Amino acid sequence: MTRWLPRTYLTLVYILLYVPILVLVVFSFNESRTGYAWGGLSLRWYEALFSNRAMVNAMWNSLWLALSAATVSTVIGALTALALHRYRFRGKKLLNGMLFVVMMSPEIVLAISLLALFLLVGLQLGYVSLLLAHVTFCLPFVVITVMARLSGFDESLPEAARDLGASDFTMTRTVLIPVIMPALLAGWLLGFTLSLDDVVVSTFVSGPSYEILPLRIYSMVRVGLKPEVNALGTLLLVFSLVMLMLSQWILIRSKR
Amino acid sequence: MLRGLRQPFRTGVLILVWGWLLALVLAPNLLVIGASFLTRDPGTFLSLPVTLENYRNLLDPLYLEVFLHSLYMASVTTLVCLLIGYPFAWALSRVAKDRQLLLIFLLIVPFWTNSLVRTYALKLLMATNGLINTWLMELGLIDEPLRMLYTEGAVIVGLVYLLLPFMILPLYSVFEDLKQELLLASHDLGAGRLSTFIHVIVPLTLPGVLAGVMLVLLPAMGLFFVPDILGGSRNLLVGNVIKNQFLDARNWPFGAAASIVLTLTMAFLMFAHRLSKRRIGEEGA
Amino acid sequence: MKKLALAGLLAVGLTGCSSEEPQVLNLYNWSEYMPQEVLDRFTEETGIQVVYTTYDSNEAMYARLKLLDDSAAYDLAVPSTYYVSKMRQEDLLLPIDRSKIEGFDNLDPELVNLDIDPENKFSVPYLWGTTGLAVDTADIEGEPVTAWEDLWEDRFDGRVMLTNDMREVFHVGLRVLGYSGNSTNPDEIEAAYEKLSELMPSVRTFNSDAPRMPYLEGETDVGMIWNGEAVMGKDTMESLEYVYPEEGIIAWLDSFVIPKNAKNPQAAHQFISFVLQPEISSLISEEIGYATPNLAARDLLPDEVADNRASYPNATDMINAEFQTDIGDDALQVYAKYWEMLKSGR
Repeated sequence: MTRWLPRTYLTLVYILLYVPILVLVVFSFNESRTGYAWGGLSLRWYEALFSNRAMVNAMWNSLWLALSAATVSTVIGALTALALHRYRFRGKKLLNGMLFVVMMSPEIVLAISLLALFLLVGLQLGYVSLLLAHVTFCLPFVVITVMARLSGFDESLPEAARDLGASDFTMTRTVLIPVIMPALLAGWLLGFTLSLDDVVVSTFVSGPSYEILPLRIYSMVRVGLKPEVNALGTLLLVFSLVMLMLSQWILIRSKR
Repeated sequence: MLRGLRQPFRTGVLILVWGWLLALVLAPNLLVIGASFLTRDPGTFLSLPVTLENYRNLLDPLYLEVFLHSLYMASVTTLVCLLIGYPFAWALSRVAKDRQLLLIFLLIVPFWTNSLVRTYALKLLMATNGLINTWLMELGLIDEPLRMLYTEGAVIVGLVYLLLPFMILPLYSVFEDLKQELLLASHDLGAGRLSTFIHVIVPLTLPGVLAGVMLVLLPAMGLFFVPDILGGSRNLLVGNVIKNQFLDARNWPFGAAASIVLTLTMAFLMFAHRLSKRRIGEEGA
Repeated sequence: MKKLALAGLLAVGLTGCSSEEPQVLNLYNWSEYMPQEVLDRFTEETGIQVVYTTYDSNEAMYARLKLLDDSAAYDLAVPSTYYVSKMRQEDLLLPIDRSKIEGFDNLDPELVNLDIDPENKFSVPYLWGTTGLAVDTADIEGEPVTAWEDLWEDRFDGRVMLTNDMREVFHVGLRVLGYSGNSTNPDEIEAAYEKLSELMPSVRTFNSDAPRMPYLEGETDVGMIWNGEAVMGKDTMESLEYVYPEEGIIAWLDSFVIPKNAKNPQAAHQFISFVLQPEISSLISEEIGYATPNLAARDLLPDEVADNRASYPNATDMINAEFQTDIGDDALQVYAKYWEMLKSGR
């Protein structure tokens, strides 16, 4: 295979993937509203966005939901992976099966099943319902990521800790967690991404008390030209990148 | 029991994990299965009597057509994702190791702009007086704007755009595992490139292909917002029908039945995936 | 230390970050149906924050209200006539305390005390309007479009837009066949469905979020539109015309209602009073192009708005007009069935 073909192909696909994103970013700074002509550099859409309290509120809510869902699902997911890997108990197949079902199910199936549950139980739709739903669909991805790390792992260290009299909890905390840390971070990142990106599940289980992005802009996006949406998309991207860099920085610092 | 008390951490973990999954995975799915056999009620959404009416309604030619058309669009989406993603994953696995992580990272960065926003960006591009038409007209390549929006093609473009990474990642994973030695051995045995491809690479990457197909085909039938924004009136997915039944028409039993059909399709694919893995001789995860 | 902070943050986050909030009004309204200025001025005057959520059809609004029934989600909603009736009969509404509202007497006597809500115990009219033909005269050649029937012409293949409204679309189908748009006869409704099915290949898209947009964006050239949207659209695109079809225009009325479990009915009453002020009502009509039922407000309208035939039709325009009335739940079910078939079919 010629050297350049694979690389060109990769580049081409990446360009196609990023064109819509670039359109969003570039046109968020566009002065003109109608047509797609470039009217000059301007921050007016960012101003319009920030003066729209509801939109800003929805943006923060979405970010916060993603952060908390990622964190909770990482904790539960890591514990699940640990349990599956280290403990012996009955029903492992069922557990695995349920995780697999969640991962493979189309989101809409997940969404209606959870809506039905919440309604039956009488849970008011809002932050809690959203969090429960988001954690659930992030879970399998965290589990898989951590399991992959655990399976290539040297058992002698935890054994040594156990021999030294450490309790299960201590051993987990001091030995296992540092080892699986990269997987935890990868899982967290995956969870954050999935949550922020979600539209289907959020449409079904959200309530007006905790407005998140998809519902807030659904109507706007169908209306058509709304450059505030460009600004919104750009901001989300920037926030996420900043947050990622921050987490990397914290990670590097904590390693020292 | 005693062991539970002696190992509080372990017990705690197991209770948490089992509790979560049973409450938020098993129970809701059982609810949906149950709901699909019940009758619609304007007040409480569900009521007795138990009936097969909902499934029978699904067989109505109207809904059957929606399902088939939805399956068709999802299949085309999956095929396109496969055609683009397969070479992509292969090329990705060949890139220098230290670069690979960055490239994979670049695949998920777009997800940080919510899918809805990205679909809207596609609309900006494909609209009759949108960017693509504006550029093509300015370049003199076309006289009349192309009617790209509100077509079947627009929906497929939207679905491919959102789901491509889900095809690439499992494929990349199997390509990563593909042992160079096997390829070399095949070559040593005198097999040509095409032969190696057909008889060695394809069978070994099949589980990845099937995983990718599962991760794309089913969601492609459920992403209702894509037809809502890009599809106009006539390119509905099963997901649109389900959403409509639950949130507009309030016919929960019927929506549940449609959802079960989707789930069964998923089960069928999962079964096929298992079979393929077993044939390769690996133990399924 | 860091871990404690993180845990604390998590705890706060999991409880949903509640804090001291000022009073809030949850307004649930059609999209593009309330100028932002009105909401801002309301907040300025009363200090009440308005959380504004939108819907694009009566059915969606109704379904959502039923779904969130117990959780006191919305304080105000704006259903059309027949849904006011439906919700009133299903005991979903809070009676409106007339003593807490000022300006009710400004309303046109012809539009109050209707059958849908005798003595307006549960509703206060907001805006009325019409649904007619939208024609992009720049892109339509040949014979001018003057009737609903014209939409079925071959030359409009793939260029038609319909509002995403069950009753309105069937109204068109019924009128074309000579039946009443308020028909409750299942045979007539079925006939309308058959007729509309013939139109479907021509329909490019349905839109009730902002019906003017497909025309403005050049995606469709002819079809249904609400008069206010036509007025707003014409501001941007001169060639967009609002035409009163020969078979007769569809007229409707939207009213404020307070859902039974509203958390802040006090604020809801205040908002209604605020909107009933002639100055505010006239502002609304001017901004979004629909007709205000507030007679005192009509006196304040600038000439170009008051004379705009799209917003305020004259007697000739209203020949054959049919006002949307309540048709009862049974008939609604029949419509719903055929509507679904229409939307799902190809």
